[in-house]
Amino acid sequence: MTSPSARRVILAPLLIGLAAIGWLLVPLRPALAPSSRTIRIEAGNFEYFPSQLTVQRGDRVTLELVARDVVHGLHLDGYAVDITADPGQTARATFVADHAGTFTFRCSIPCGPLHPFMIGKLRVDPSDTLARAAGLALLAVLFGAWLARAKADIPATVGAAAP
Amino acid sequence: MTSYELTRSPFARAMLKSRWPQLAVQLGLLGGLGLVIASGLLGTPVGSRSFAIVMVWIVWWAALMLVAVPWLGRAWCSVCPLPLPGEWLQRGVIGGPPRRGSGSARGLRWPRRLRGMWVQNGAFLAVAILSLPVLTQPRWTGILLVGLIVAAVALGLIFERRAFCRYVCPVGGFIGLYSQVAPVEVRVRDAAVCAAHTSKTCYTGNESGYGCPWNVFPGSLQVNTYCGLCMECLRTCPHDNVAINLRPVGADLTQAGPRAMDEAFKAILLLGSGLAYTALLLGPWGRARAAAAAVGSGAWLLYALGFLTFVAAALPALLLAATRLGLWLSRIRLTPIAALRTLSPALIPLGLSVWIAFSLSFLLANLSYAGPVLSDPLNLGWNLLGTAGVGWAPLGQVLFPWLTIGILIAGLAWSSQRLGAIAEGLRGGPRLAWPMRVVSLMLTIGVLAVLAP
Amino acid sequence: MKPESGARLAVSLLALGLPLALVGGWRAARSSSVVTMHARMSEDGGWSTETLRVAAGEPLQLNLISDDVVHGFAIGHSDLTPIDLQPGQMVRTTLVFPQPGTYTFYCTRWCGPNHWRMRGEIEVTGPAVSADAPQPPLYQTLGIDLDAPHPAAVVPARRPSAARGADLGIDLPATLADLSSSLARSPAEAWLELRADPSTDGLSGDDVWDLVAWVWRSYATDASIEAGAALFAQNCAACHGESGAGDGVMAGSIDVASMGSGGTSAPLAPADFTDAARMLGASPALLQGKITRGGMGTGMPYWGPVLTEAQIWSLTDYLWTFQFEESR
Repeated sequence: MTSPSARRVILAPLLIGLAAIGWLLVPLRPALAPSSRTIRIEAGNFEYFPSQLTVQRGDRVTLELVARDVVHGLHLDGYAVDITADPGQTARATFVADHAGTFTFRCSIPCGPLHPFMIGKLRVDPSDTLARAAGLALLAVLFGAWLARAKADIPATVGAAAP
Repeated sequence: MTSYELTRSPFARAMLKSRWPQLAVQLGLLGGLGLVIASGLLGTPVGSRSFAIVMVWIVWWAALMLVAVPWLGRAWCSVCPLPLPGEWLQRGVIGGPPRRGSGSARGLRWPRRLRGMWVQNGAFLAVAILSLPVLTQPRWTGILLVGLIVAAVALGLIFERRAFCRYVCPVGGFIGLYSQVAPVEVRVRDAAVCAAHTSKTCYTGNESGYGCPWNVFPGSLQVNTYCGLCMECLRTCPHDNVAINLRPVGADLTQAGPRAMDEAFKAILLLGSGLAYTALLLGPWGRARAAAAAVGSGAWLLYALGFLTFVAAALPALLLAATRLGLWLSRIRLTPIAALRTLSPALIPLGLSVWIAFSLSFLLANLSYAGPVLSDPLNLGWNLLGTAGVGWAPLGQVLFPWLTIGILIAGLAWSSQRLGAIAEGLRGGPRLAWPMRVVSLMLTIGVLAVLAP
Repeated sequence: MKPESGARLAVSLLALGLPLALVGGWRAARSSSVVTMHARMSEDGGWSTETLRVAAGEPLQLNLISDDVVHGFAIGHSDLTPIDLQPGQMVRTTLVFPQPGTYTFYCTRWCGPNHWRMRGEIEVTGPAVSADAPQPPLYQTLGIDLDAPHPAAVVPARRPSAARGADLGIDLPATLADLSSSLARSPAEAWLELRADPSTDGLSGDDVWDLVAWVWRSYATDASIEAGAALFAQNCAACHGESGAGDGVMAGSIDVASMGSGGTSAPLAPADFTDAARMLGASPALLQGKITRGGMGTGMPYWGPVLTEAQIWSLTDYLWTFQFEESR
């Protein structure tokens, strides 16, 4: 039989691991019914307005890209959307948001110095990635704490010398 | 896990002692640097088609952040082309062993008051508040690199050794501190041999090589921070007592005791600037970015003050407060500053994971620009490699959020473990670590909010 | 040779190399017959060269490169396919002009509020080919005052439809079926003429408006309207709006400071083509004139050197779609 201290050593990481798996799998939010949406995104001065969008999984989304100053593009990760809009010519793309999660969209046409940082985010709900990641972060801190207890690698000293 | 000596193999030792492989790489990189400067000063002002911007801030930076620093320590410093012209003038020799009477340097010792990382910290912060135009406009990158070369030449002619690299280079402090994580090290095999060796030629130099250009005494090297992996000590030691070892990742972090003030501050500075860059460049705050780019304007001044206040005042104050709370909880008898200096190595995995996640984000998004700039480095319509027409396409974008989460979580876990291990080592309790753990958790969640979802 | 000479030589070569490259590149650019043209937003200088000279029949080699955003290169009154200029990517092209004269080159992709000012001239020298003197545009022949207000005397209660007008089965009077007089007549004037004609006695006012719309469709072909729509999208919608209501993305940025004297002191909004009172009082010839000559200090560009007469007529054909329905 394993000794009590050995059991404790195995128990802590086991519990943390199970908590992590459970946390990743449990659905946190109910999904709403899908609908059809049209979202107008204006692009100008290296920003998208709005830059953070939220839709429901299954929604039929039409993005309208309106360029305000120069030619801008919009490339959406995770979906085959890559459109270019000149000022005066709204570009449109329609897709079905069938993957949940958070997807970055970026400008795909060089539009000046800050072009690489022209970024927006599309969240397809139910998406709890941030909550799950935060939970995992907490478990990571606990795991690190357990590791420190289980495996001391610094010889104990009394206090420390003055600078 | 103990270390394994790489230089046990005669072939490896010969390759590392020989000057020619190193010189070949250095010359290649020097040529690349020349092309980068030409592109920056003469090529297009469009960042995404500029050889200078893409090769330096995307390719080189990613290679540094993802491969060189975490895995090879200061290996970049051993082949970096920036100090080469200055070093050649200083030594009077290109790539070869010392010759009698050669060299044009004054050879002064670096002033005592300017020692340590403070000048480097300042240089790093100066580049940081100018980072947006430097990262996006080729002229700025070209001028910065020319400036660094001029500084390196001037310092090489006035001072001894690699004064620029050790005390001034803005990237050097960054590379040095994070190289503590790398599984590669230069150490002596047997300290007794060094004790018996009176002339200490590894530091003073002899006919086989130069005294340590990094102003380090190889015999007492315990951490990687200041060793530039230049291999001179391998060449000068008459007893072949210097070895290159493979060792467990993060071994230097387990050194006990408080770190020097400048190093501890550097660790906080790097963590803070990683957080600030992530928020500024990858967050939704377009106004802040525009302010950061408009150098010289009132908005930029506000941004610069905000940036400096955060990394040099607010974050240190927050960490100090967490340390005080930890001291009160654990009743360890240390001053808060001394305790923070002792805990500071735990910030290294956290800061490194933030920098890696941040770098990975724009690397994956923009690596496809490398094809066109390699084929047409001076924007004259060339197509050297046939890739001039390759379009932009971000890579790995579905994988990236998960990779980010993994990297940040791993860094946080490691940091938490270090905090606990350091606290355990200070008899008096692991409670010292908990407030810092909470702060680390909050900061990590902040980064996750910007980068992943 | 002392050892450090090698080092000094190497560093000197490196230090000299850069200025030498600069001088060499500059001299090569000057001596070559290829013209390198940099495109920048008008606020930052526009085209790096605004006047080019070439002999008729001789090739003009251009290296075009954009230094900031997407631009385009095209030549007015020519069938050269516009060349898109992606930032930082050099495009090489060779132009040949058989006929001497002055050609306007211009930017084709909106690059800021002053995009339309990105123009230059190519002077093609050579023996003058005798040709008929060009016809003055219709608005000049008719002596129309382009700057006078033109309110419509009557406006319809509902949107006129050309299909409904066709369905009415009325034979148009000869004066209304003639193209050149149609172009000279505003829709409000056409309505008054139709109202006065006995053949429309049994029709309501709106029915007569449908007939006016049908008159428009009798000379404006599908192809012309489609061409006009494309021209509008590329050139006009940025200021006038995709809906024609004068609310385009550039509408708020019309550069007041660069307007010459003779303009009004307050910036005017771009014309609202959905405003019936204004549009229906304007004849196609007046619209052609406004487009050709520009707005004289209002911020409306002059398109004469860039668009051919046929293109401008297509535009005016399209502009009526903001007032009339093509179909029921």
